[in-house]
Amino acid sequence: MFIEIFLFELNYRLRRPATWAYFGILFIYALFLSIGGLSGGSEKVFLNSPASLASTLNVISIFGIMLASAIMGVPVYRDIEHGTQNYLFSYPISEKGYILGRFAGSMATLFLVSLGLILGFMIGYAIGPYAGYEPAERYASFNLWHYLQPSLIFYWSNFFFTGCIFFALVALTKRIMLAYAGGAILFIIYLVTLTLTQDIENKELVSLLDPFGFGALNNTIQYWTPEEQNTLTIPLKDTVLWNRILWLSIGVLIFLYTVFRFDFQRFLYKKLGSKKKSMVDEKEVSSAAVFTKIPKVSQVFTGTHNLKLLFSLSWMEFRNITKDLFFKAILIAAVAFLFFDGWFGNPTYGTPMLPMTYYMLEIKDFTYVILIFILIVFMTGEVLHRERGVKYEQIYGALPLPNWVIYGSKFLALVLICFILVNMILVSGVLNQVLQGYFNFQFDMYFTDLYLIEFPKYITYVMLAFFVHALIAKKFLGHVITIAIWAGLFAINSLADIDYNMALYGYAPGYTISDMNGFGHFLAAQNWFRLYWLGFGILLTVVGLLFWKRGTDSGMKARLKEARQRLGGKVKSAMVLGALIWIGAGAYVYNNVSVINSYRTVKERRVLSANYEKELSKYNYLNQPKFTDIKVDVDLVPEERYATMSGTFEMVNKGDTPIDSLHINWGNNELLQTELMKLAVNDIELKEGKVFEIFGYKIYKLPQKMMPGDTVTMKLALKRGYKGFPNEGSGSDIVYNGTFLNDSFFPSFGYNLQGEITSDKYRKEYDLPEKEYVAPPQDDKWGLSNLLFNDDADYVTFEGTVSTAPDQIAIMPGYLQKEWEDNGRKYYHYKMEGEMDYFFNVSSARYDIYKEDWKDKDGNNVAIEIFHHPSHSYNVKRFSKAVRHSFDYFSENYGPYQYRQMRIIEFPRYQSFAQSFPNTVPYAESFGWTADFSDPEDLDYAYMVTSHEVAHQWWGHQITPSATRGANQISESMAEYSSLMVMKKEYGVDAMQDFLKRELDSYLRGRAGENKFEKTLLDNDTQAYVWYRKGGLILYGLQDYIGEKTLNQGFKKFIDSAAFRPKAPFATSNEWYGYIKEVTPDSLQYYLEDSFEKITLYANKVSEATFKKLDNNTFEVQLTVESGKNYYDGNGKELSAPEESNLLDIAVFQNDTIIDGKTKKVPLILEKKWIKPGKSTFTFVTNKEPIKAGIDPYNKMIDRIPDDNLKSLDELE
Amino acid sequence: MELKIENLSKTYSNGVNALKDITLTIPQGMFGLLGPNGAGKSSLMRTMATLQQADSGSITMGDIDILKDTDKVREMLGYLPQEFGIYPKVTSYKMLDHIASLKGVSNKGERKELVEALLNKTNLWHVRNKSLGTYSGGMKQRFGIAQALIGSPKLIIVDEPTAGLDPAERVRFHNLLSEIGENTIIILSTHIVEDVANLCKNMAIICLGEVVAQGNPTELIQRVQGKIWKKMIDKKELDNYKSNFQVISTHLKAGSTVIHVYNETMPDETFEPSPANLEDVYFTEISSRLNEVTV
Repeated sequence: MFIEIFLFELNYRLRRPATWAYFGILFIYALFLSIGGLSGGSEKVFLNSPASLASTLNVISIFGIMLASAIMGVPVYRDIEHGTQNYLFSYPISEKGYILGRFAGSMATLFLVSLGLILGFMIGYAIGPYAGYEPAERYASFNLWHYLQPSLIFYWSNFFFTGCIFFALVALTKRIMLAYAGGAILFIIYLVTLTLTQDIENKELVSLLDPFGFGALNNTIQYWTPEEQNTLTIPLKDTVLWNRILWLSIGVLIFLYTVFRFDFQRFLYKKLGSKKKSMVDEKEVSSAAVFTKIPKVSQVFTGTHNLKLLFSLSWMEFRNITKDLFFKAILIAAVAFLFFDGWFGNPTYGTPMLPMTYYMLEIKDFTYVILIFILIVFMTGEVLHRERGVKYEQIYGALPLPNWVIYGSKFLALVLICFILVNMILVSGVLNQVLQGYFNFQFDMYFTDLYLIEFPKYITYVMLAFFVHALIAKKFLGHVITIAIWAGLFAINSLADIDYNMALYGYAPGYTISDMNGFGHFLAAQNWFRLYWLGFGILLTVVGLLFWKRGTDSGMKARLKEARQRLGGKVKSAMVLGALIWIGAGAYVYNNVSVINSYRTVKERRVLSANYEKELSKYNYLNQPKFTDIKVDVDLVPEERYATMSGTFEMVNKGDTPIDSLHINWGNNELLQTELMKLAVNDIELKEGKVFEIFGYKIYKLPQKMMPGDTVTMKLALKRGYKGFPNEGSGSDIVYNGTFLNDSFFPSFGYNLQGEITSDKYRKEYDLPEKEYVAPPQDDKWGLSNLLFNDDADYVTFEGTVSTAPDQIAIMPGYLQKEWEDNGRKYYHYKMEGEMDYFFNVSSARYDIYKEDWKDKDGNNVAIEIFHHPSHSYNVKRFSKAVRHSFDYFSENYGPYQYRQMRIIEFPRYQSFAQSFPNTVPYAESFGWTADFSDPEDLDYAYMVTSHEVAHQWWGHQITPSATRGANQISESMAEYSSLMVMKKEYGVDAMQDFLKRELDSYLRGRAGENKFEKTLLDNDTQAYVWYRKGGLILYGLQDYIGEKTLNQGFKKFIDSAAFRPKAPFATSNEWYGYIKEVTPDSLQYYLEDSFEKITLYANKVSEATFKKLDNNTFEVQLTVESGKNYYDGNGKELSAPEESNLLDIAVFQNDTIIDGKTKKVPLILEKKWIKPGKSTFTFVTNKEPIKAGIDPYNKMIDRIPDDNLKSLDELE
Repeated sequence: MELKIENLSKTYSNGVNALKDITLTIPQGMFGLLGPNGAGKSSLMRTMATLQQADSGSITMGDIDILKDTDKVREMLGYLPQEFGIYPKVTSYKMLDHIASLKGVSNKGERKELVEALLNKTNLWHVRNKSLGTYSGGMKQRFGIAQALIGSPKLIIVDEPTAGLDPAERVRFHNLLSEIGENTIIILSTHIVEDVANLCKNMAIICLGEVVAQGNPTELIQRVQGKIWKKMIDKKELDNYKSNFQVISTHLKAGSTVIHVYNETMPDETFEPSPANLEDVYFTEISSRLNEVTV
């Protein structure tokens, strides 16, 4: 019996076009991914490495739940839908045979469909090396196990258990909608776990609950280096194993329950749980029936009446949708996401942000929009198939309603739904703000974003869904195709680097809402793009109307014929209207993005970079004059987003060769457009010599050769600004409120290494040599005689005037001399005292200023000024406190502060960083200004980052690193270390561990994604994860070994020797390392070598930890630890495991205490011990009851599994 | 006004040739469309009800082209499909009211009067506030006719309305239909000969997509009168008779098999003449086209 039903099912499915459509979609998608070489991650990882195959298969299986529900939901339902259940079940078939047969047949179908992807990958990765989209060396040779292993543990097992669940849901409840809803719920659980794993504290638990094992997989491979990703398969152990066991057994149990629970009787009866009985009819015909005359009525079929019907039907359809359980379930889930994303805030270093309105709006793009899109697609399917679903379509179709009334009413209902959906964002946002006690609702911001940008966007989704669902008369296939289109757009946009928004349905340039600048210059682009897509959407919708199936014939020929008939005058005019809007708005948009601004594809930009290097790298290291004195007048016109600048620049030839021409980079006018008005040297106008227009690189012959030591004066006047709107790009240098220009706004001299392609993959593609380093070696003459931050000057004197809008304050380097108003503009005159490095910014916005003073030991005053957006005054005192504490610590340990002021300047959140210029720190709006530091357990990153930036006044602006490899460690690692010390003093050792774990996590993830090879602290020139994360960790560990005071003495010596060094050779990492070595005892020199010269990772853990109570009320702790230390090469390949002992912390703790809301560990024993790699056992006696014990319990060493360093103690009897 | 179907043909995308060059003239009054299952009745009905297109041919009613002026046709159409569903949670009163408003009955008072009359007429008044999902087959079918009657349609198409109804229900249904005004075209499709015999002034028989006979029932009976012969036979002999005569139907009578044979003259003396009825007409037409006929 089972066999017949199984074969029948399989045979039936194999003849369904949908089965092959699903297979084909997976197959083509796999080809697309594999041949196109689309993957994230490091360039050093093979596209088909075991780790990336596992990730890809896993991710696709998550979206594969749609297939699982489509295939596994229908087999039993089909019998209900077609009414076959009544006679089918009267045949002598057993319930188990029926259910198992249908199940196995469908599961086999699902398995078969799933092979489409694997087959596609196998073929794609075989063709890939020859197809030329991706270099051949990125493909590893074929290995069947690398496909099978992850398929078994993730891909198929996910299909299997979700398939079990969907099958069971329908078999038990007879409701196909539950299969969708089940899929949605699993997806939501997945998203919840995904959100929760962002908190690194409970990653393990959460990833156990992730239905698809994505989290567990990710946790396993997240720190794998490229080498490991290329060679290892996912070990089936720990969380991965338990996760799989958990979810597979859930699937199997549910299925078994179904097998035993299912019986035909229950299945045959009306709706489950329905108590309704069929009514007994009156047998007698009442006399009323005989004598009733049917009255004559008047009928109206006017346009007005149709319009009325349109609205009443829309309203009815709208109410039908809102009554739908599936709709409610998904909407509730979507809004819950919206709410909780808002509730948990936007944590930076784990610290939440205040519920700012812009954030309440931004979270709609996290998860909400995905669920909303799915909701729109499914509801469109429901609405267009509503009558068919209850077999009412024939009566309905024959009613005297014009097509546009029926179709239009359904469309309007969805539009109304969209309106509700955008308002959910408003409701959730405001509710969140109220509940969090935040009452600065910015309703204008809500309304602009939701009604002008988001609402039309959802409508374009509806239009696409209507188009597809109208063309494809099969509901499920329609869902799959619409979602596939959306996923396809996403894939070609984010993976295939196709970013021309006019070509991607529904897309528009990215935009950022800022408190300072509102929607700023982004709004116009948004509006025009929305209009453009609405026009196209009208076309889609009307084409949908032509093909939408009214009636009973779904043959293509018949529908084509029908479509031709429907193509009447009104329909044509609607199409013309759509086309006019589309083309009209399109012309305007095109003019802006491609004519006024120049659009380049990602590839074109790469070719440009490659050509830049090929044509101009011969000018690299060319001797050019250096600025020594700068006087500028800058007129900012933020209202129109441009600025004019005229300046007088004193320049000296500091090199040892004569200079006969100036090489000036004006920028390539892609976004920021430059108009040169004057360029003269010693009052002689310069003539353009050789011009490389496309790179904005021009060579000017000097009127007279500059001999070494010669000084000349350059006069320059130019206008720079933005026009129209581009395809992408924030264009944030000059904005309506919150202008932030740095010295790159001024032209620079000579060839710029930053303009080169860094990726070796692309370098090879364009015949450029692989490039290991950007900066020259530590002993390079050019490198030693130039400064890292800007090679156009060493130190300069500066004076300038800046004008701006009358309600704004403009800031430049130097001390404010004078401010005045003239001609309706505000003017500010600044002058720097003494010299500074040529690294500065110009800012302008409507600011409030918070002022405080700091006095050094000798009573000299430093003015602390914090320029902030008027409503962002929440944390200004925190910034100011950090400045004062930093000054205290640094002036005591490193030497005096060199200026009389310290300015912190907020700028809009188009970028999120803080940057340290001499006595000035611009600080992004999103970075601390609106953070919520009310929980003392949370990291006070405003304090930490401020302290880091203040430290740069010493490490960066007193010691100005040379332009050599490793030199940036002097700036960044030292600033990181310095801020850690200030923070440790304020917040204590325990707060540090939390932060260090984050540093460790960033470091380990950084090296796992490395595209070239990991560099050491001494020669690293570009890797931020090395100079911030590793640098901070290593120096923190070092001060713990040798003492903070000792280490600082070394640093002070370095400052004394290198601060304000007037000329080359400027400071290098070797010089810095020398001072460190000097203060480190011989016994610990191994740590310096391991840390600065090598890549070293520890693998420490506690294997056993017990204690027993002794007689005299003391406790004996027995602790067995395993220690390991490995050296790695830059690719992450293990080199060797040295046998020598290392000095490591061993500790025993009692219970944690909480002081002022902060958790603190309380050590009973904390000792540094020389521990040999391998197992060691320690015995301690404590006076108090010990709770936990560990090796390196504060995570000072670099260790890939920091959490197993500490273990709770078991008591021995 | 007459409904004229000329050379109507339709082949579905799966290759089924459902209508083959159908030409029919349907006058006012009740018109019966008789044919076995799968004859193309429903295809024809749905085409007339604007629910699908034909490949070629035309249907006109007065100066209205039914295949093109679908909006106009729908304004005067009442249609009861063979199989239909309704929103199970809505009451019949609300549903009729809703459909009435969709059929252009925009005056509330008139609509109320109409709906109440229809509910009375179809004997659904007592269940007007019960949701449609709870209705029995007959009640549902009466609801179906009630909705088709809204707005005094000029063209009423009812597709197999009595299938699945018990005899009493059928009688009631016939009464309902017969009360509809004379100046309306009512097309009733069925495979039950009795329905047509009882109700229709005109009729057509279609089989395998073709019209095989049309006219009024009396005339059609007249044509075969005297040519129908019956005989009681042994069941085992049936095949033998089938190969020698045009056996149009077989009946069981008290355990024995009675065959009806169509022949111009008496086949032999073992047969006896049988007075022709509409059933004989029907079976004569279809037995020559379909292989097996057993009733």
